[in-house]
Amino acid sequence: MSLLQVEKINKNFGGLVAVRDFSLSVEKGEIVGLIGPNGAGKTTVFNMIAHFYPPDSGRIFYEGKDLTGMKPYEICQLGIARTFQVTKPFVNNTVLENVMVGAFSRTNDPREAQSKSLAVLRKVDFFAQRNLLAGELTTVDHKRLELARALATEPKLLLLDEVMAGLTPSEKVQLLGLLRSIRDEGITLIVVEHDMKAVMTLCERIVLMHRGEKLVEGTPQQVSSNPQAIAAYLGEEYGTT
Amino acid sequence: MEKENRLTLGWWIIGIGGVIFLLVPLFVRNPYLLHIFILIFYFAYLGTAWGLISMAGQLSLGHAALIGIGGYTSTLMFMEWGVTPWAGMFVGAAICGIVGVIIGYPAFRLKGPYFALTSIAFAEILRIYVENTEEGPFGIPLKAAMGLLIPLKGQAPEVFQFQEKEPYYYIAFAMMCIAILINYTITRRKFGFYLMAIRSDQDAGESLGINSTRYKLMAMALSCVLTAIGGTFYAQYFRYINPERAMGLGMSIEIALVGVVGGWQTVLGPTIGSILLSPSGELVRAYFGGTYAGLHLFLYGLLLMVVILFLPNGLNDPIRRALKRLEARIRRPAVLTAQPNAPTKDSG
Amino acid sequence: MDFEFIELLISSFVMGLLLGGLYAAVAVGLSLIFGIIRVINFAHGAFLMLAMYTGFWLWYFFGMSPYLSLLIIAPLFFFFGYIVQDLIIKPMFVREKALVVEPLGVLLLMAGFDLVLSNLALLFFKSDFRSIISPFASATISLGFTSINVSRFIVFLLAFAITGFLYWLLNRTEIGIAIRSVGQNREAAALCGVNVYQIYAFTFGIGTASVAIAGGAIVPFYYVNPAMGLPLAVKSFIVVVLGGLGSIPGALLGGLILGVVESITAPFVTATSSAIFSFLLFIIVLFIRPKGLMGVLEA
Repeated sequence: MSLLQVEKINKNFGGLVAVRDFSLSVEKGEIVGLIGPNGAGKTTVFNMIAHFYPPDSGRIFYEGKDLTGMKPYEICQLGIARTFQVTKPFVNNTVLENVMVGAFSRTNDPREAQSKSLAVLRKVDFFAQRNLLAGELTTVDHKRLELARALATEPKLLLLDEVMAGLTPSEKVQLLGLLRSIRDEGITLIVVEHDMKAVMTLCERIVLMHRGEKLVEGTPQQVSSNPQAIAAYLGEEYGTT
Repeated sequence: MEKENRLTLGWWIIGIGGVIFLLVPLFVRNPYLLHIFILIFYFAYLGTAWGLISMAGQLSLGHAALIGIGGYTSTLMFMEWGVTPWAGMFVGAAICGIVGVIIGYPAFRLKGPYFALTSIAFAEILRIYVENTEEGPFGIPLKAAMGLLIPLKGQAPEVFQFQEKEPYYYIAFAMMCIAILINYTITRRKFGFYLMAIRSDQDAGESLGINSTRYKLMAMALSCVLTAIGGTFYAQYFRYINPERAMGLGMSIEIALVGVVGGWQTVLGPTIGSILLSPSGELVRAYFGGTYAGLHLFLYGLLLMVVILFLPNGLNDPIRRALKRLEARIRRPAVLTAQPNAPTKDSG
Repeated sequence: MDFEFIELLISSFVMGLLLGGLYAAVAVGLSLIFGIIRVINFAHGAFLMLAMYTGFWLWYFFGMSPYLSLLIIAPLFFFFGYIVQDLIIKPMFVREKALVVEPLGVLLLMAGFDLVLSNLALLFFKSDFRSIISPFASATISLGFTSINVSRFIVFLLAFAITGFLYWLLNRTEIGIAIRSVGQNREAAALCGVNVYQIYAFTFGIGTASVAIAGGAIVPFYYVNPAMGLPLAVKSFIVVVLGGLGSIPGALLGGLILGVVESITAPFVTATSSAIFSFLLFIIVLFIRPKGLMGVLEA
């Protein structure tokens, strides 16, 4: 049984087709990359999996369970966490407090929540900033905060929406290492990114979306050598690999 | 819990202030002065109770309705069945809790200003109803605009009546302290964190597992229960309750105002606001209320506008900053004044 | 019994339509303001009340007919609304550095403003109930077994006139297109060169003028008093939710429905109790269809 089974989901926004007949199957322990030009529908797919809004049609199964009709907080309780492309920090609170909100989804005890949050912050290398107000962080640090917050909910499936945006190359390498170690702890990852090199290095499987549909799916080599993919998105750089 | 602005100086001030408040009635005998203190505590209590729903990011401009329900319930139970207001208080509180949940539920599920609208509509309609109804359902004598007069029993602690101001003083003080304690405890626990998340960014909160509707309802229920108890106090202290004063928009705004002036989503904000506003409001009302009816509400409205426009977080921020500076100066004057190569002063 | 009952029902229905016209006329401006600027004008009732007083004083000092005074009231309150938005509300937007403002702050601001205006009126005009004497107030048109009051009927017509005017303004004029664009997407409109704050001020002015017209027109049959604004404002809140926040035809429809519901229930319960039915209707709509009847905005 796959961890996540997305079957032919659709989403319309007032006549505009954002996602059409999208299907995806993700196994436990995978790192799947979701790529595509802007407007391809990647965030919309994420939003539907996390039930920020429901799919217009189609179904999503998680651990065999049909997610239809669930609310985002129920999805979180089941073990799916997500970050937002446009970050949503709790600006008037410290980094630690932000992460504790996530930790409270698994415990009611403030002390336990705090110690879990501190552990998460250490893991993502954000411990030193724990008492800074979230509103005073840089946008890049907001992304790290989102990641820490999501991790604090102890997810089994983590949806990361452009969590690498704005990082320097060395920071990206660090983050890639972090993501791999997260996966090694048993968390499955679906990653939306624009940085092709990072995606190709990190992900074992890549799904390319274009205009709301799944265009190509396969290993990095398969996708980057697929002529349709190249035509749609990847450009000359990968055409000859 | 680590927070970079843990104000030990602030704690001292609160502690000393608390002790002073406890000792005041021993030295102050003037009933009018005691009355002012009681108003301070009372509105601090109401503002703090109101603040619970503000912490969830919801604005209620109809809390006066709860005062009315609480006050009328305990008073009617006393007048009709001789039930002591001490018990009637809890009945009123329970009713308000349920009412609040019912009123809030449709609006809490939605995003938008619906709850604020609901609160105003509810309070106004309830007030109009009571104001125009002599006898309510089941023959309950609501007495319309005349309001209810508490039957005077002299010194009767068992039915929440006292001849002197002192007992009311301590009761109001205790109520205020309890409300502040409740708010404070909540902010340190999961409930408080969740409320903060909901008002900060509800979508983010939901993605982190928060059932925002449920927590808003919990905050609302608690806020309503506490406010209803305040309604019983109102009835027992003023010995008179009527729709226009107790349930009107002016009262709802007064409650909101102490919160907004002091810092409307903070624990101590409403108390600070009340310390500032209650004495001045009462003075304005006492001196001008007769000839210039409406002056004090006019000033309140103006103050609300000024605060929103210029100090949206209320006085809480400036006070915190001033306290921090003061604290730093008391603790480490050497650090503040020392130059790298200059001799350091001894700390005082 | 049956025939009288049906007669009662029909005349209640007709009264309800007239009442609904009143509610609609008051609410339409509110709907416009929310639809475009996304703020609820909590001072709506105070504006209405001030317009009523204006109409009253114009009659008192100059003997001006209430309907003639509308010619003065409308532009006067347009400017008043324009200035209020520009001077009082705009700083909130500017401070947030956004074209959309944190809604609760503006709510409180306008609630405070409502207190200020109502109590200024109380201080200056006192709490006496005033009324004007007008031939329209008592004139009636006969409709067979029932008759309707002319002045109420005029308000009913005005509701449609205002709605029609707004429709024309929003759909057939250049500024209307700008207004609608701002209502749909502020940032995009700004990028297209629309001066969003100016549009906000203009829209607020139009909304205020609408409710002022309603205010001036109800003076013939409504007591003028500082406290008259709030109950009608509360009704208009209910109407806009019923009709759908931001929908002007929705406000018209919602107002008519509310008026009919109140009038039909009124003979069976007291007048104030029928207000409770209005509130219940409000809650039910919020529960079942928060978008309202013709809502265009997502809840």
